[in-house]
Amino acid sequence: MTAVDLLAYVVAGVALVSAAGVVLSAKTIYSALCLVGNMVSLAVLFLLLNAQFVAAVQIIIYAGAVMVLFVFIIALLDPGHDPDYEGPRRDPRLWVGIVAVGYITAQVFALAVNGTTYSKADHVLQGQRLAQAANPGDQHSFAFDPGSVNAAGNVQVLGRELFTTFLLPFEITSLLLIVAAVGAVYLTRRLPHAPAEPPGATAPVAALPEETAPEPGRETVGVG
Amino acid sequence: MLSIELFPLLLGLSAAMFTVGAVGVLVRRNPLVVLMSIELMLNAVNLAFVDYGRYLNSEDGQIFTLVVIVVAAAEAVVGLALVSQVYRSGRELDVDDLSEMRE
Repeated sequence: MTAVDLLAYVVAGVALVSAAGVVLSAKTIYSALCLVGNMVSLAVLFLLLNAQFVAAVQIIIYAGAVMVLFVFIIALLDPGHDPDYEGPRRDPRLWVGIVAVGYITAQVFALAVNGTTYSKADHVLQGQRLAQAANPGDQHSFAFDPGSVNAAGNVQVLGRELFTTFLLPFEITSLLLIVAAVGAVYLTRRLPHAPAEPPGATAPVAALPEETAPEPGRETVGVG
Repeated sequence: MLSIELFPLLLGLSAAMFTVGAVGVLVRRNPLVVLMSIELMLNAVNLAFVDYGRYLNSEDGQIFTLVVIVVAAAEAVVGLALVSQVYRSGRELDVDDLSEMRE
């Protein structure tokens, strides 16, 4: 085992633990923090997998922009109203769903590892050989070995692919971004029937025992 | 350079992260945590894409990873706009209570 493999094991462990932390944290802000750790460890794995541009995009877009948006919303909303303080959902049908999700994931994983793409006996990926045997004239697929990609540059290779072969998906992606931006602006407009006060101000005090009235002397401290 | 024995490990990590995210969507009631669990599932898919792309000598996995990142950003923007609007309409943030569209 080389040092790079050891680093991959450590980072994979960090990613798994932080992924569990997203679901298991009682406070929302801790879930966001665990998600940032998960994304950063995934960026390290992308670097180890020769995907330098995707690693940079993962840090900038995900851990930067998206998580800042999440933390902004968490800070904007009242953290005392976290419904998960009463515990997770208790529905017997839920366990059927959880067992089904775990079972299907394990099945897909076993199929991927032992199936047509990867041979566990000799550690060889068979998909490339099978595809080239089925279509010998295919010059495009499976043509990017790490040596030639690193010689040309990961960003250059990705950019050429993105603007030639995958031009239509790229344009549809930009359309999706515009639709999402317009939709978000439309959704966050002020409703005519919305109450002017946020719900935290009108909630009964009995439901929120931790929300106490401010001390009477606090307002007059700044005067003297 | 990672050795090829790491390929099933990273694929298994991807599957485990996807399962954890799906369980989070099922179990948690806070819509913010549900959105974060969806991001976790999309991240797991990204890892599988890059893993397969690296060991199949193909750049297509990275292209699709970029597309998935854009989709995840758009989903987060729309989802957080919905969450803030639900909060502003004066209701508790609980996905079990938000069921008017069901009937």
